[in-house]
Amino acid sequence: MTTVLGIESTAHTFGVGIVSDEEPFILADVRRKYEPKTGGILPREVAAFFSSVAGEAVREALREAGVSMEEVDAVAVALGPGMGPALRVGATVARAIAAHYGKPLVPVNHAVAHIEVARFLTGLRDPVALYVAGGNTTVVSFVEGRYRVFGETLDIALGNLLDTFAREVGIAPPYVRGGRHAVDWCAEGGDFLDGEIPYVVKGQDVSFSGILTAALRLVKRGARLSDVCYTLREVAFSSVVEVTERCLVHTGKREVTLTGGVAANELLNYKMRVMSSLHEARYEPVPARYSGDNGVMIAVTGLMAYKAGVTVEPRRAFIRQRWRIDQVDVPWYPSTPKG
Amino acid sequence: MVSLDPERLVEDLSRLPLLKRGAESEIRLGSFLGLPAVFKVRVRKPYMHPRLAARLASQRTRREAKVIAAALEAGVNAPLLLAVLPSAGVLVMEYVEGPLLKELLAGAARGEAVKLAREAGVILGRLHAAGIVHGDPTTSNFIASPRGLVLIDYGLAEFSEHVEERAVDLHLFRRAVEATHASLAGSLYEALLEGYREVMGGEAEKVISRAEEIKLRGRYVEERRRSVWQAVG
Repeated sequence: MTTVLGIESTAHTFGVGIVSDEEPFILADVRRKYEPKTGGILPREVAAFFSSVAGEAVREALREAGVSMEEVDAVAVALGPGMGPALRVGATVARAIAAHYGKPLVPVNHAVAHIEVARFLTGLRDPVALYVAGGNTTVVSFVEGRYRVFGETLDIALGNLLDTFAREVGIAPPYVRGGRHAVDWCAEGGDFLDGEIPYVVKGQDVSFSGILTAALRLVKRGARLSDVCYTLREVAFSSVVEVTERCLVHTGKREVTLTGGVAANELLNYKMRVMSSLHEARYEPVPARYSGDNGVMIAVTGLMAYKAGVTVEPRRAFIRQRWRIDQVDVPWYPSTPKG
Repeated sequence: MVSLDPERLVEDLSRLPLLKRGAESEIRLGSFLGLPAVFKVRVRKPYMHPRLAARLASQRTRREAKVIAAALEAGVNAPLLLAVLPSAGVLVMEYVEGPLLKELLAGAARGEAVKLAREAGVILGRLHAAGIVHGDPTTSNFIASPRGLVLIDYGLAEFSEHVEERAVDLHLFRRAVEATHASLAGSLYEALLEGYREVMGGEAEKVISRAEEIKLRGRYVEERRRSVWQAVG
């Protein structure tokens, strides 16, 4: 049996996961989320918060898993992409643990991890993946050794669009209540404002900054907020689903997944499901509990990478704030610890 | 006999044999005024609000027809346009027969693959010189017909002379070959540029360097800000 401890600290969540390659696979899932009372996330404040919770989060994970550090075979850490100060906390903790206990250190790309945890939990082997989060909007699929980017946002990310709009019009923070985004709550009972918000798909790329500007202008001009929320969501979600559809047709793959912080969204899931069935593809989103950032996804990916021989010397474990998904070799593909 | 009532027409067309189900539309094979013809039917996306889906379908049909007419006039190898019915989202075009460039590249020897990519570059150059950008010139949208490579699917094309949008075309071709023919991608893109330069002359360089910028513009591109790489501790 191989057991890996994974550390996530790329954005708002300090996560520690412990995973093994035998039932029940997931042994521990500890998360400490930084939630600003007002405004957005400040990297330095996040880093200070992470530093204050890191030690007890690791201890709690070991307790939850019922294993000692001696029984852990490797330590995995998300080295990027993400915010520098936040990444540095996770990397420092991981390097310290690995060095102190003499464990191999496994570098993990955060974006790859979002997809690997989806594959691991859904059982999909070779899907087209839509990865949507606060800082990412990317359509990827595996071709010749790596995840390749088929389409992405040319400016801001989908999660960023929702968060920024919600904050600007005063319906957030909190950004998420009862598992739904402020924009979703607000869109209840809204109508579609046809032609008021630009629908932008360029080839296989999307763009959201024009949507944000148009939506804010509509609100300023006195449009009903629920109509604007409804329309913004409809236009933005439709465009990412359309790009995913193009990727599906272009690659001829038979499976589709949705992952990342926005993946729990009901309407987006509905659209993805309808699109997939149109092309007779199997659709399985990552389970909602693992859509947002967590340590388990880092541990799962670390486990696969470790067994494929991917490790890094602690002194060479640099953080990479802009580490692209298509720069990462994925030699273990398509197998997962479940087979 | 097909009806000209939009709803009836689409229903009638749905009985024709399906040639291809694209991301955008269904391509059905039939005949029109005695000629073998393809009927491109823009399916209203069932995952969109009906008004958004209808608007996109008719807008895109109308725009596609205008662009194809202009491309043909400029001597671009595009399918001949036979009829346009925007409210039904239907275009009727010449049936272009042959394998897709994507399929050909997969089986071709390096020399042949490079020749094809160069020909694609010439076509893209002619299109751009005519003031049109394609918007989705992937290797799935070139057909190798008896009369040479034909660039199809003008569904996302626009009239534009912007360096940015021209560069997006080059970028999309490059990304398509990187995605499906990764090991040959570099040579294929170089060959495309060779054909493109031949047509576009001095104007080509601005577009090519912008395409490089676009490649680096995606989120988290390390080349763009190498200086921020930092060692931990």
